[in-house]
Amino acid sequence: MARIRIDEHLAEAVRFSDAGVRLPLRKRRGGGGRRQRVRRIAGEVAREEVWMLREATFSVERGQALAVVGHPGSGRDQLLRLAAGTLMPDEGTVVRGQSIVPMIGMGGALERKYTVRQNIYLIGGLLGMLPEQVTERLPAIVETAGIAKILDKYLSDASRAVRGKILWSIAMAVDAPAYAVSGALIVGQPEFKRHCWEVVESSKARGTTFLVTSDKPSHLLRFCDRALLIADGRILADTSVQDALDRLREIPPPKDQVHFVLDDDDDDDDEDLL
Amino acid sequence: MLALWRHRQVLRMLVLRDLQRQYTKFRLGYLWTIIEPLGMAIVLWFVFTLLLGPRQLGLQPYLLFLSIAILPWWWFTKGISQMARVFSKNKAQLRTSILPTELWVLRVLVVSMMEFILSLPVILVAVLITRAWPSWLIILFPVGIALQFLLMYGLGLLISSWAVVVPDLARIVRIVMRALFYLTPILYSITNIPTVVQPYAALNPLVAPLGLYRVAWWPDEHETVAAFTISLTVGVVIMIVGYVTFRRLELRILKES
Repeated sequence: MARIRIDEHLAEAVRFSDAGVRLPLRKRRGGGGRRQRVRRIAGEVAREEVWMLREATFSVERGQALAVVGHPGSGRDQLLRLAAGTLMPDEGTVVRGQSIVPMIGMGGALERKYTVRQNIYLIGGLLGMLPEQVTERLPAIVETAGIAKILDKYLSDASRAVRGKILWSIAMAVDAPAYAVSGALIVGQPEFKRHCWEVVESSKARGTTFLVTSDKPSHLLRFCDRALLIADGRILADTSVQDALDRLREIPPPKDQVHFVLDDDDDDDDEDLL
Repeated sequence: MLALWRHRQVLRMLVLRDLQRQYTKFRLGYLWTIIEPLGMAIVLWFVFTLLLGPRQLGLQPYLLFLSIAILPWWWFTKGISQMARVFSKNKAQLRTSILPTELWVLRVLVVSMMEFILSLPVILVAVLITRAWPSWLIILFPVGIALQFLLMYGLGLLISSWAVVVPDLARIVRIVMRALFYLTPILYSITNIPTVVQPYAALNPLVAPLGLYRVAWWPDEHETVAAFTISLTVGVVIMIVGYVTFRRLELRILKES
């Protein structure tokens, strides 16, 4: 429970002090030949934990929009998960002054066998909304995502793009004081994108805190006030967005993509949905 | 605990969804909740009274004696084996959720408990068939449910978090459950086994709730107070160990999600 505790006396939205986190990495043991085959049958895997983030010390003011600039696999998603509390640090501390809604890999949480309406209640619940609050905001969500026709159809009927819109609309309907967004700040077709911009910008104007990573530099440039440059699990700079993006170009992307323990039953293909 | 209480409405919604899905999946829907345990009780009753003859096993009427234990056992095995897999099944939801981690364990447990409660008419049927009416001690029946709930919660926290570290555990649990069926006084009562072995048999934490369920029909015959106390103590230890283990492994659970 400690992971979602909120310290209301904290002046900032979130404060990291020397925070670090290790993630398990699964790889096959070295060596070849018969021994290796035996091992494979026995399901033996070497497990080791890799530091994904170390000595992260910074804080985000309430109402600030922070860009976390880095290559995929640099530890930027872990940083967001720590901030939202869906991960806990191995070392150091992360303290939250506001409830931070995670918009990280939401796509996998959708249940194909539920109707769209049921999914809205489910995801809303996961993000901390009470069922009656969902009921109250349902008309707004339906209108935003334009899903009036398929509301009581099974989710598997909805296309990928529509699912993205649904998730985005639910997350915004939470109307949380802070968001941690990985990739999906702006989604959908051009028309919907314009709507996204309107909503997030007015939300920011009302004092909502944002922590954002994105592979689209233009989004970060337009939206964020400040940037953390992160590579190889270390925060290299706390600077302006433009400067961080410039310096990122000089950093080579991580060569071997770290392969994490994710089981086959996982909906990995939905990863970029939100 | 407090955080869980704050999220009780979300829990309720999740539980209702799960039940709804379970009951709309099959043609016979709710009836399966009754047919499955009833069928098992009848098979066992047939084997142990008609086939094996008048050997003294359990207490009379045997059909009632069996059904009263079969239903909680059903709840126990189903709940525990589902809890063992809960974090590998709900990875994606865990990753985006700001709900307390225990809520996932509790969700599975409450769903299985609701199924158990919905299957209670089986006992009513057995009572009507055998015309064995319970005494006022039937008020201990809900206490038994509460006790089994807490026991399963502790055990569920222990097993679900451990299964994240050792994925094979979910399979081991299945085998252990099978053995436990015969080691638990379901087909027989504690007093049926030799007095020397009784204290060891009472180490089984299920002995205590089963005693509470049966006490309204067999106040003294089923188990001794000593056996009940031993079993209850083991249960409490499991609850504490489960909670502590879960807290220590919570980070591992989140990392694997």
